[in-house]
Amino acid sequence: MSDTVSLQTPDLSEAAVTVQELQRWLDTVKTWDQTDNMETHKDICRHLRTLRDFLHKLQAYINCVKNTTEVMRKLPLLGQFLGRACWVPHITADATSRALLFHCLWGMYSEEPENALEAKANQWVRKILCQLTTDEEDTAQTLMKHLGVPPAEYHLRVLRKTLARLEEHAEKTCTITCDLNRSCPCDDVQATSEACIPLVTCPEAASLIGALLQRPFTSVKAPLSEDFIHAVDCAYSCKLLLLEEPAVISLWWHSVSSLEEATLTLMEQPKACAQHCSMFLVVNDIFRCALKQMEGNYSLKHLIKTFTSCLYRELSMQEQRSVPLKAYFPQAPACVLLPLLTQPSEMPEEAWRNHLNWLSGSLRRLVEEEEDRDGANGAVSLVFEAWFLLIGCSHWVDVALQLLASSKPTDCDPLLWLLTFYHHPTNRGHHRDQLLVVVREAWLHVHCLFTAVGAPPPGDRYHILAALLSPQPQLPSPAPLSILQLLVSFAVFSPLPLSGSTEILLTVVERSGLTDEAACVLSSLEIRLSAHGLLPRITALRQALAPNT
Amino acid sequence: MEAMVKNVSSTVELLAVATHSDAVTRWDEETLSRAFHWTIYCEHIHARFHYNPVIRKLLERQLEMTNESLSIVFPNYTALCFTDLSRCQNLLLDGLLRNTHLPISVMKILFDKPKHLSNNGSSFEDAKGICSSIIETKSACKVLGNVNRPSALCPDAEVQAELFMEKLDLVLKQNSDNYGANQFLDSVLRGCDKDEEHFCAIIGSSLQTESTMDPKCMVILDWLKQKHNFLEGMCHSLPLSLLADMAEKHLGFRDMYSDVLKKWAKEIEYDINNREWTPVSKNHSVSFQNLTQHFVSLCKASISLRNFLETELQALKFSEGDFDVRGLSIWEDLLKYIFKEMARS
Repeated sequence: MSDTVSLQTPDLSEAAVTVQELQRWLDTVKTWDQTDNMETHKDICRHLRTLRDFLHKLQAYINCVKNTTEVMRKLPLLGQFLGRACWVPHITADATSRALLFHCLWGMYSEEPENALEAKANQWVRKILCQLTTDEEDTAQTLMKHLGVPPAEYHLRVLRKTLARLEEHAEKTCTITCDLNRSCPCDDVQATSEACIPLVTCPEAASLIGALLQRPFTSVKAPLSEDFIHAVDCAYSCKLLLLEEPAVISLWWHSVSSLEEATLTLMEQPKACAQHCSMFLVVNDIFRCALKQMEGNYSLKHLIKTFTSCLYRELSMQEQRSVPLKAYFPQAPACVLLPLLTQPSEMPEEAWRNHLNWLSGSLRRLVEEEEDRDGANGAVSLVFEAWFLLIGCSHWVDVALQLLASSKPTDCDPLLWLLTFYHHPTNRGHHRDQLLVVVREAWLHVHCLFTAVGAPPPGDRYHILAALLSPQPQLPSPAPLSILQLLVSFAVFSPLPLSGSTEILLTVVERSGLTDEAACVLSSLEIRLSAHGLLPRITALRQALAPNT
Repeated sequence: MEAMVKNVSSTVELLAVATHSDAVTRWDEETLSRAFHWTIYCEHIHARFHYNPVIRKLLERQLEMTNESLSIVFPNYTALCFTDLSRCQNLLLDGLLRNTHLPISVMKILFDKPKHLSNNGSSFEDAKGICSSIIETKSACKVLGNVNRPSALCPDAEVQAELFMEKLDLVLKQNSDNYGANQFLDSVLRGCDKDEEHFCAIIGSSLQTESTMDPKCMVILDWLKQKHNFLEGMCHSLPLSLLADMAEKHLGFRDMYSDVLKKWAKEIEYDINNREWTPVSKNHSVSFQNLTQHFVSLCKASISLRNFLETELQALKFSEGDFDVRGLSIWEDLLKYIFKEMARS
C-alpha cells in the first residue's frame, strides 16, 4: 500500500496495463458514476480493494513510460477513466486510492509540454484538481457565505454531525428477534458498516468504526459486512487507523486472522529478545517498572513468567550462545540466577526438594542481609531483583506447593518461606513474619486434615481453617490465597482417595465462601498440568466445586 | 490598530498575487505555509470585528483603497469586500489552483497526504495536504449521505441551522437590542433570495431545536411577525409535522401560524355548482384539502393546540351567524371536517 513512485527496472511486459483491462475498468466506473443506488454503493465498496491494485499497477506503468504522448497513445481511454474515477466519492474518500489517483494524474502532467496534446493534458489535470477541491453545492454555500463560515469548516462539521448521528443509531440494539425476511435496525448497521469501508483511513471516522465493532451481537443476521472487517483489519495493521483498546479487542473478536496476527507478534518477541540481549534488557525493564507499580497484579506476574520461560527456552535452543546468561539478567544476584532459571523438568523429581531448600535458604540470606543493612544501599535492591527473577521463574513456587502436600512438619519451613516471600517480598511492619506464622499454622491444620485417615476430622479444625481463609483486617491480603493454594495442593497431590480429598476441600471452601476462587486455582492447575497423570483428579475436583462447568 | 489594518491590506494583496501573478513560480512550501497563516489571521480579524461598526468601517475603507490599487495592477482583479475576509483561506486556495503559473511541485504539496487535522479543522496548521483533506471530507460526507437514516433531519440542514444560531447568538451578544439581530436576519434573507425555501427550512429547524425561553427564539419570532410573506412561505413549504412541532413549542408561532391559516381560509369561496370550496385567486392559493390537513395536523399534535383551534374556529363560526349548513361558513365546514378526521383516528 505504499506509494512507490516508479519501478526501478521498468519491465514493460510485466507491468503493462492492457487496453482491454482499462476498458473493463472504465465501463465499471462509468456505471458507478451514472447510477446512484444502494446496490451500486455496495458494489463499489466490494471492489475497492481490486480497484486499488489496478490503480497501483496503472501508476507504476504510467511512470515508466517516457512521456504523456506515449501514454496517451498506448492507453487512449486513460483520461476518461481517471476523469470519471475522480468523481466517485468512495474512491476519493479512501486515502490510499485517492493518493494513487493523484499520482496517476501527476504522471499525466509534463513539466515541459512538447506538443499541443501534452499542453492540453496539463490544463486538464489542473482543472480536475481545482474542481475537486473548490466545487461547491450552491444552496448551502449561499447561506454559509452570509454567515461567514468557510467551506472547509462547514464540510467538516457536516461530516462530524453525520458520523455522530450514525454512531448514536449504531448503539441502539435490536430488541426484536430478527427475522431474516424482515428489515430491522440491524440492516441499517450493516449498511453503515459497508459505507465505512472507504472511510477506514479517515481519522474522523475512527469513533464510529469503534462503535460498530463493539456493537453487541444480538441478531441472527450478520451485522457487520465481511469486507468492512477486512478493511478495518488492513488499515489497523498498516497503522492507517487508530483504534481505542476496546475497539481493537472487538476487532479481534470479529476477525480471527487479526487476532492471529496480534498473537504471533507477541509470541515472536521472546525469540527476538533471545537473539538480541539489548532488546531483552529493555523489555525486562518495562516488566520491572510495571511490577513496581502493580505489585499484586496476577496477570502481570503470569505474563512475566511466560515470557521468561519462552526466552529461556529460546536461549537453550541456541547452539552457541555468544552472550552469557548473566548479560541478560545483569542485576539478578549471581547465586540464584541459574538455579532459578533452571526448569524443574531439567532435573529428577527427587532432587527438587534439595534444590528448593537451597534456593529458599539463599534467598532468605539475601533478605536478611539487606534487612540488617536497613534496606538497600544505592539504586539496586538485590532482594527486589531476586524477587523479580523469582516472578519470572515461578514454576519453582508451583513445585514448592506440590512438595508441601507431601512434606512433614520438620521440612516444610523452607518451602513455606519461599511461598510467603513470593507473595510478600518486603517485610514492612513485619508483615511477612506474621504471614509466615499464619501460613504455617494453616499448613499444620491442612496437613492434619489430610493425614488423619479413618477418624472423622474434628469440627473445629474446619472452623479454624475457614477463619484463616476469610480475609480479616489485621492480616495482609495474600494470606488467604497462599492458604487456598496449599489446600488445593493437598487435595490434588495427597495420597488420600478422591472422595476424601473432595469432601475436605468442599467443606473448607464452602465455609469460607471461596468456592469460585478455589475453582480458579484448580483451572490453572488443569492447564499447567495438562499432560500430567493427575489431570483426571484435578478435573474431578474442579467439577465438584462448580458442577455446571 | 494601524498595524492590523496594514496586515489585512497586505493579505489582500497577497491573495491577488496568488491568483493573478506569475510570482508564484518562485513559491515553495514555506511561502505557501506563511501565506495560509496570514489568511487565518484575516479570518480571525473578521470574526472579531464583524459586528463592531467602528472598526469594520475602518477596515472597509482600507479594503476599498487596496481594491482600487490592485485593479490597476491586475486587470482581471475582482474586488473583495469585508465579508470575503471570513473565507480568506478558501480564496487563497481557489486563486492558487486557478493560477496556471503555480508550479506543479507546489500543487503536489497541496495534494499530498494530509497531516492530522487540528481539532478546529477550519484552520490548517500546515499547507501540506490541505486539498487532500478537503476532498476527503467532502467525499466522506457524500458516501455517508447515502446511508439511510431514520432521523428526520439531514445532517447538513442540522449543521446549517446550528451555524445560523451560533451567528445569531454572537450578534445578540454584541448588541443589547434587537436592531442588530433584525438586520442580521434581514441580510441573511436577502442573501438567500433565490432560495427562500431553504432559509424557511433553516428557521424551522432552529425553532424546533431550541427551547422557547432562548432569547434567539424570541428574536426570531419577533422578526417573523414583521415578515408576512416569508411567514406564509414557511407555512407553504415546511412539512406539517415540523410546523405542528413549532406551534406546540412556541406560543408566538402558534398564533402566527393560525393567523396565516385563517387568512388562507378567507381566500376560499364556496362554488355552488361544484359543491365544493375553491380558492378565489390562482396565485399562492391553498386548497380546502390542504387547509384541512394543516388544521388536522395541529389538532393531532397536542390537546392544548386542538382546544385552542377549536375555540378560535367556533368563535369565527359564531361571528358568521352560527349556521350548521354546508357551504355557508368556511369555519363551520372546517370544524366538521376536523371532527370527522379526529374521530376516525
